[in-house]
Amino acid sequence: MRILIVEDEPDLLRSLAQALREEGYAVDTANNGEDGLFNAESYDYDAIVLDVMLPKLDGWEILSRLRKTKKTPVLMLTARDQSRDRVRGLDTGADDYMVKPFDLPELFARLRALIRRSANQTTNIIEIGNVKIDTAARNVTRADAPVELTAREYALVEFLALHRGEVVTRTQLYEHLFDENDSTLSNLLDVHVSNVRKKLGAEFITTRRGHGYCIEQ
Amino acid sequence: MKIFKSIKWRLQIWYGLILVVVLAGFGFTAYLLEWGRQVQRIDVQFQWRRDFLVNALHRPPRGPNQNRMPFDRPPPGQAPDDGPLGQGPQPSIEFHLPPQAVGVFDADAPNNPEKFCFIIQSRDGREIARSANVPNQVPEIESFSVWHVKQAPTPGSWEGMVNGNMRERVELLPSGEAILLACSFAPELKELRFVALTLTGVGGVILLFGMAGGWLLVGRAIQPIEDISATAVKISAGDLSQRINVAEAESELGQLASVLNSTFARLEAAFAQQQQFTSDAAHELRTPVSVMLTQTQTALSRERSGAEYRETLEACQRASQRMRKLIESLLELARLDAGQEQMKRLKFDLSQTAWDCVELVRPLAAQRGVKIHCDLPAVDGYGDAERLAQVITNLLANAVQYNQANGEVRISAKLQGSMILLAVSDTGPGISSEDLPHVFERFYRADQSRSSGQTGLGLAISKAIVEAHGGTIEVLNQPGAGTTFTVVLPATQEPT
Repeated sequence: MRILIVEDEPDLLRSLAQALREEGYAVDTANNGEDGLFNAESYDYDAIVLDVMLPKLDGWEILSRLRKTKKTPVLMLTARDQSRDRVRGLDTGADDYMVKPFDLPELFARLRALIRRSANQTTNIIEIGNVKIDTAARNVTRADAPVELTAREYALVEFLALHRGEVVTRTQLYEHLFDENDSTLSNLLDVHVSNVRKKLGAEFITTRRGHGYCIEQ
Repeated sequence: MKIFKSIKWRLQIWYGLILVVVLAGFGFTAYLLEWGRQVQRIDVQFQWRRDFLVNALHRPPRGPNQNRMPFDRPPPGQAPDDGPLGQGPQPSIEFHLPPQAVGVFDADAPNNPEKFCFIIQSRDGREIARSANVPNQVPEIESFSVWHVKQAPTPGSWEGMVNGNMRERVELLPSGEAILLACSFAPELKELRFVALTLTGVGGVILLFGMAGGWLLVGRAIQPIEDISATAVKISAGDLSQRINVAEAESELGQLASVLNSTFARLEAAFAQQQQFTSDAAHELRTPVSVMLTQTQTALSRERSGAEYRETLEACQRASQRMRKLIESLLELARLDAGQEQMKRLKFDLSQTAWDCVELVRPLAAQRGVKIHCDLPAVDGYGDAERLAQVITNLLANAVQYNQANGEVRISAKLQGSMILLAVSDTGPGISSEDLPHVFERFYRADQSRSSGQTGLGLAISKAIVEAHGGTIEVLNQPGAGTTFTVVLPATQEPT
């Protein structure tokens, strides 16, 4: 899962990015409106955390411009707590709205819900055969036995599981699992896929040659 | 009683009272006029009967009717009508009604429906004649003698009165006889009662309509007051956006409503400003609190290295410093607003103070490669040196902060008349005309970002300090050539 954070307060931006990375997300950051809009339009993020008060371009402007091309889920983050601000945010196309100061666990939960909804998933539990994925607890069991996955492996499983039945291209996987700071060595993805297959069964992920990977329904 | 405290009811009661007095006055007058008309009609009837009687009294019948009781005529020269009155005992006078006049005073005669009757008495109360139809036992008639004997009216005078159902006319003739004429007044009284009843009825109906009309009128006149009161109730309940609907702006109440509306508008604006300030203040505190929360929650979520903890603590320290600065500024503004902040009123060396401020800002300027040019001749200022230094430092810091790299800042001070002009200008990009009117507003920043480390209160505080000194602060924008802030301060103690 790849998330973009647009926030101009440097300390807040840094700690948010760190916290989300530790939650297993690939995180891109922008500290002003123009960069934020550029990033948001260039990649298919799974979610965007967007501050309202920003230099150069404010959050409302970014949102209304972004909505012309992309449906990326957006969580607005703002110090304005009046109901008309929340209404404006949601009406402009924000998917959720949080008022500063906020609790990190709540922010995480809201982001998970946003991502889940955008994948048309209603619960945190995804079951595929005897494999059960809990996206809230971020763990995976196979035949009720817990399976140890690295953060990157878990992210791969979760992304494919949320898009199960679809063929996910390698480019998509790169875009959603790695942020701009990661070195995207071409075989890194293959290593992760092969590790997941060892832990969850060779047939869990099927390879469509020339297209990408897929988890069958 | 609540009812007597209501203006509507009080007006109604007064209105009703006045209407009753007016109607009663008119009704009474109409009744009196009618009474007088009836009495006059009877009195005309009395007049010719009296003339008739007087004629009969003074011209006794003569001729073959000698078998009747003859009048006891007084000797010539002693006629009662031309002889001096009160001279000796009156001779008894025989009086006979001429036959053609008998019917005029006959009780049952068809030509006397009013039952005219008469009594004639001599001056000393002896009865000379009396018509047959004089009603018996009527004390007013029987006391006729009292009138002319005891009251001794002037001869020739007469009086009319209504006694019970009778109209009477008493007269003392110059010749000494007294005549009482009476007739029934009952039909007239009946008619007058009917008139009184009609007048009362009509008056009552008019009063009723008048009261109803008055109620409507008072209601309409009071309506704006009720509107005002209803609006005021809503406003006191907290809805400051309410306004009185001014239908007639020209009327007295319309003017009152307009004045109240403008008062409400100013109240609302003041409240809105206060609310905005509070909300802005809370808003400004949210970001540093967010930083601290996020930093600490992230740091505490797992074991960290010493360096990571240090980083977290440093970020928290920065956020706390920012909050401290903000809180201090807010308190300062609140004190300035409340007028609690007493400005010292002392003479001080303004140029020296300005130099100190320049020295304070120099490191920041050096960091940004900004040069500060000073044009500070020896000028004495008057006021609170410490507070004014705060203003100068703030203006200089802004000029450096919003300057272009390697730009210039100029500070000058001069005495002009009784005022000191202090100007700080920069060579920055200037302030957009959109932002210019707002620069002294609290928390207003041309740049929407909150990361500049400024509280957004500096210029607002500067303005408050300068105004507390009785001075003014203005901003002048030269597009592309920078911005000039000019502070004008009184150079001497102002008479306060």
